Amino acid sequence: MPDPVLQVEDLCVSFTSGGVTADVVRDLSVRLDGGRTLAVVGESGSGKTITGRAIMRLLPRGASARGRIVVAGREMLSADERELRRARGSDVAMVFQDSMSALSPYLDIGAHIAQAVRLHDPSVTRRAARARAVEMLDRVGIPEPAGAVRRFPHEFSGGMRQRAVIAMALVNRPALLIADEPTTALDVTVQAQILALLRELQREYGMAMLLISHDFGVVGRAADDVLVLYAGRQAEYGSLRDIFEQPAHPYTAGLRAATPRLDARLDTGGERTRLRAIPGAPTSLRDAGPGCAFAPRCGLADQVGERCVVEAPLPTVRPTSEGGGPHLAACHLDRLPALKEVAR
Amino acid sequence: MSEPILEMTDVSKRYRTAGGFGRGRKGFLAVDGVSLHVERGEALGLVGESGSGKSTLARMANGLVVPTSGTVRTDGQDIARLGRRGLRRLRRNVAMVFQDPLASLNPRQTVRQTLENVFRAHGETTSTAELVALLESVGLGADYLGRYPHEASGGQLQRVAVARALALKPDLIIADEPTSALDVSVRAQILNLLADLQRDQGISFLHVSHDLAVIRLYSDRVAVMQRGRIVETGPSDEIFRSPQHPCTRALVEATPEAELPA
Repeated sequence: MPDPVLQVEDLCVSFTSGGVTADVVRDLSVRLDGGRTLAVVGESGSGKTITGRAIMRLLPRGASARGRIVVAGREMLSADERELRRARGSDVAMVFQDSMSALSPYLDIGAHIAQAVRLHDPSVTRRAARARAVEMLDRVGIPEPAGAVRRFPHEFSGGMRQRAVIAMALVNRPALLIADEPTTALDVTVQAQILALLRELQREYGMAMLLISHDFGVVGRAADDVLVLYAGRQAEYGSLRDIFEQPAHPYTAGLRAATPRLDARLDTGGERTRLRAIPGAPTSLRDAGPGCAFAPRCGLADQVGERCVVEAPLPTVRPTSEGGGPHLAACHLDRLPALKEVAR
Repeated sequence: MSEPILEMTDVSKRYRTAGGFGRGRKGFLAVDGVSLHVERGEALGLVGESGSGKSTLARMANGLVVPTSGTVRTDGQDIARLGRRGLRRLRRNVAMVFQDPLASLNPRQTVRQTLENVFRAHGETTSTAELVALLESVGLGADYLGRYPHEASGGQLQRVAVARALALKPDLIIADEPTSALDVSVRAQILNLLADLQRDQGISFLHVSHDLAVIRLYSDRVAVMQRGRIVETGPSDEIFRSPQHPCTRALVEATPEAELPA
């Protein structure tokens, strides 16, 4: 097996404020190979964004990470500032939801990309860096790239801006791209284009992608494997097919059932469908007790009994479909009953 | 047949643009000669991309935005002819729920104060029992009366916002992206709540959303907006089964389903 582009082992992230330390991510392990996309799915407080930031070592003040993160062979948690600077951009780059805040309003688009080139390799001349910017804008599908490099962020539409940010992130050909809700702020038609572009560039560059999203629709279009987080812990991990067709965690199944579908009413012969909602609201690890964080919202906890409240379940191996990779779920139930019983 | 609860005829809205950026001196035509109606007890879904004019149109329906031309009638009355008191009456009958509940609730008022103010604004008094019943109708317990917005989750706050909209027993609720800011697992709760209100209390809805799957689940009829115009309208089932206009087709095709790619 080749070395993975990203390897995370037993990652814990904690916040300290007022002398109190609380974990927001606990015991997370991830392995991601080149050319593959892992979707990290979760809701508020699930720790999906903080995990992405921990990999980049971009944690907010007061947060600290333990465990092991290896990106393209480099230990990220023990790296010093100089090493980190080298890693960011060339080994790992990030695209955020809000493209406007990732760009400086005072610099034209070309300057952003050229800066990324020259930070990575100071021997590149300004002129050459600028030429790379034009090339890269052309590659991400921005029309008239030679003119576009001179335009400013506010002159671009949301979709074009996201393309420019992708150009900036990928200009140094990173081994790993972390995309944190890259299409959430965009219209559906533009969203589809951006996802297609990311997939295309990924194939071309052979890079690994960590796609952070709350939307199973986006995940279904772009992911190879899926990691479902709940309250800072791994709820389920598996291939896209296993996660969609035989979810083994009640939360995964519940999330799928709670997502409105375009063909919903065609299925039911014109009857209006009610969504199967999960009761309550997502919690964070801070508010979770010693048991399973999902237990208070879980329609199946009664079937297991007290164990769900007193003991946090560890990920265990679940059945996989043909050719699927590992499938793990952290639930005391060995088998989920039919979907309709999952949410109360 | 009774009159539609909402009838908009050839309504336009032109925003003046400062500095004449891009669109020139004539301003920006956000809504361009739109006619639509909502029958009593009906849920009309309004979809379109950002900038298509759907929010402006929704805000004209209850007088928050004044149309540049055209007429808006609620309950048969032309809202341009309403005086101050008439407008106040209008806002009893037509309530609004916004996207971000935290932004639409006063952070310094408890839920009780927020709800009481609705009654006070319309010269009415209310009892604790009534307020509790109101909260219960949106699935919240009496203990929420004493809470401030920061003490509740997004889904709970959106329930409070729905309770506020329901307080004066409106005939029509205009919901502008009411679930877009909520977590997936919570979004379903609010959508079910709104669907129940339509079914059980006969409230009409104008539901604005960019999310076709939400609109599909929820609306009897759908109107699709593009660049300030309605380009297609019809029964929800028909629109989604066989979209006619290229804009509708593009929206339907681009909507990602939580399905495995074929």
